[in-house]
Amino acid sequence: MLSIKDLQASINGKEILKGLSLEMGAGEVHAIMGPNGSGKSTLSKVLAGREEYEVTSGTVTYQGVNLLELSPEERAHQGIFMAFQYPVELPGVNNTYFMQASLNAIRKARGEPELNSLNFMKLVRTKLKALEMDESLLKRAVNTGFSGGEMKRNEILQMTLLEPRLSILDETDSGLDIDALRMVSMGVNSLRSPERSMLVITHYQRLLDYIQPDYVHVLSGGRIIRSGDKSLALELEEKGYGWLQEEAAA
Amino acid sequence: MSAALNHYQALAAAAPQTHAYQAIGRERLSLVELPNRKQEAWRYTPLAPVLDHQFTAASREEGLLEPEDIASLRVTPADHVCIVLLNGFFMPELSTLPPQVGLEVLDLEQAIQHSAIGIERLGSLSGACLDLFGAVNAALTGSGAYLRVTEKLTQPVEIIHLNYSFESEVLSNPRVLVQVAANARLNLIEQHAQFADLLSMSNGVTEIFLSEGAQLLHPRLQHDSVRTRHLSHLYVQQAATSVYKGTSLALGSAWSRTEFHLDFVGEHAHCELNGFYLAGEQQMQAMHLDVLHSVPNCTSRETFKGILYGHGKGVFDGNILVKKDAQKTDARLSNDNLLLSREAEIDTKPRLEIYADDVQCSHGTTVGQIDPEMLFYLRARGIPKAEATSLICQGFAAELIAHCEYPALEAKALSILQERLAPVAAKL
Repeated sequence: MLSIKDLQASINGKEILKGLSLEMGAGEVHAIMGPNGSGKSTLSKVLAGREEYEVTSGTVTYQGVNLLELSPEERAHQGIFMAFQYPVELPGVNNTYFMQASLNAIRKARGEPELNSLNFMKLVRTKLKALEMDESLLKRAVNTGFSGGEMKRNEILQMTLLEPRLSILDETDSGLDIDALRMVSMGVNSLRSPERSMLVITHYQRLLDYIQPDYVHVLSGGRIIRSGDKSLALELEEKGYGWLQEEAAA
Repeated sequence: MSAALNHYQALAAAAPQTHAYQAIGRERLSLVELPNRKQEAWRYTPLAPVLDHQFTAASREEGLLEPEDIASLRVTPADHVCIVLLNGFFMPELSTLPPQVGLEVLDLEQAIQHSAIGIERLGSLSGACLDLFGAVNAALTGSGAYLRVTEKLTQPVEIIHLNYSFESEVLSNPRVLVQVAANARLNLIEQHAQFADLLSMSNGVTEIFLSEGAQLLHPRLQHDSVRTRHLSHLYVQQAATSVYKGTSLALGSAWSRTEFHLDFVGEHAHCELNGFYLAGEQQMQAMHLDVLHSVPNCTSRETFKGILYGHGKGVFDGNILVKKDAQKTDARLSNDNLLLSREAEIDTKPRLEIYADDVQCSHGTTVGQIDPEMLFYLRARGIPKAEATSLICQGFAAELIAHCEYPALEAKALSILQERLAPVAAKL
């Protein structure tokens, strides 16, 4: 699914990722944990195609394609979805219109027929219901005046609509209460399948109680310094990152 | 430049004299100064596009248009009242004028001849500050629209202003007088449009009187063709507890200037004035606001937004004056601009002039570009860059356009906007 080799990336001349490698197979859920400033968000932004980040070395191959050559929209067309850590407010842009435009842009790029408004509404209502979300969200402007929890729910709603092959969740759990966390996890778990992979970036072990990862990686100083199964997350919760960083430095 | 003044004086002298009001205009024309960029009100507005042409007075042009031509322009249902002013002339044969309880509609000329109720108010708001174009309008005013509302009307009334002629460089002077009686209510929808891409000028004056407790919802859409020069003077006088909500959308014309003059004469009145302007290649859009709080306890909200691209130029010059006695005034003025090119220009000047000491007033302005965070968010959702850019612009405008509170007009404005922005966004 995704193969990252020796990835080095910088922003404004400052190197953030310093040789990151990661292999993800289809159907796998990988969690990336790490202290502040370790490069977690940079990784997600580089994968989604944010142009401000300069990739200075390394390769990212997604389903056999050089991902780094694709524009952000092409990546979305190929089935990559990033749930934003800070979803962006789009004043004046209706949420339903936006989601329909998004789904249809992707369908069009894939040569699939676009959905008309009626069929789209049917689809989006089904997804809302599955996520136990309120319909009022559809009438508002995208993320505008949304609470933190509503924004994250809206991200997950988009994810379940677009049914991506590779989902990247960038600290989707930060700032969420237990109910919202449960809902976000429900959305993520509903998409789990042998064809789909997920990269869950998080600060806290808590989310991984709901979304059980196959692999856990620790990112520190722009590199993965330890990989393991979900028990690694529990160990981190107990001991913090210090011991791993010391080991890596030694 | 005084050639322009001589030209308009000659036009006024040659115009058929049908009523006394024209004399005021003629007299003013002999006194006014040509607008020039040393005057604060004209400092940022280029004048050559209007002063370099010797426009001739438009004529009635009977038989040039058919009622079907109007049908395609209307945003209100076909059986609702729709007044057509062609080159400023009231055209009964093109208008739809079903009798309606609580609504009186007349050709302004007839209203003057028959001394219709309140006709003596004509010019009483605009008279005080007749500049060159105000004087030209007064001197050449023949026909026009007279509206008087005495009930709470549920159906909207539409006015369509058209410039259309076989001649080129024609000047029309549409004139509208609106009176909303105590506790009456009206939704007045205005459109300025054209059928052909002619170089012409529209120089309109609208005076609106709201009596106690009267309400007027007043969306306006200017989508003149790209060579038109468009000038609107809008005067509103509000008595106690009246409510005015005006939303002006200026999308068309090569050169367009809208002047708003608001005057509170009774307490606890509320005014909401919204404006949107779009200026692209070779276009100039100017908005001038002159809001006068001279009595206590009134509130006003002035919200203006603009999108400028190519070599487009915008001018926002908004002033709120709170006089000494206007205690407890609550006034908010804002102007936000989105610039899509390096060459686009906005001169924005929101002003507050406050002489009372117990008021709440604010003003602010922003000038920005397409937010890269927004653009990335949309692209990350698969929406191509050009479409995403256009969507951000439409969203920026849609917030303002929604104040029209008339979906058919909003949809029309948004579709014009989308059509204009799509090719621009594709090149960014």
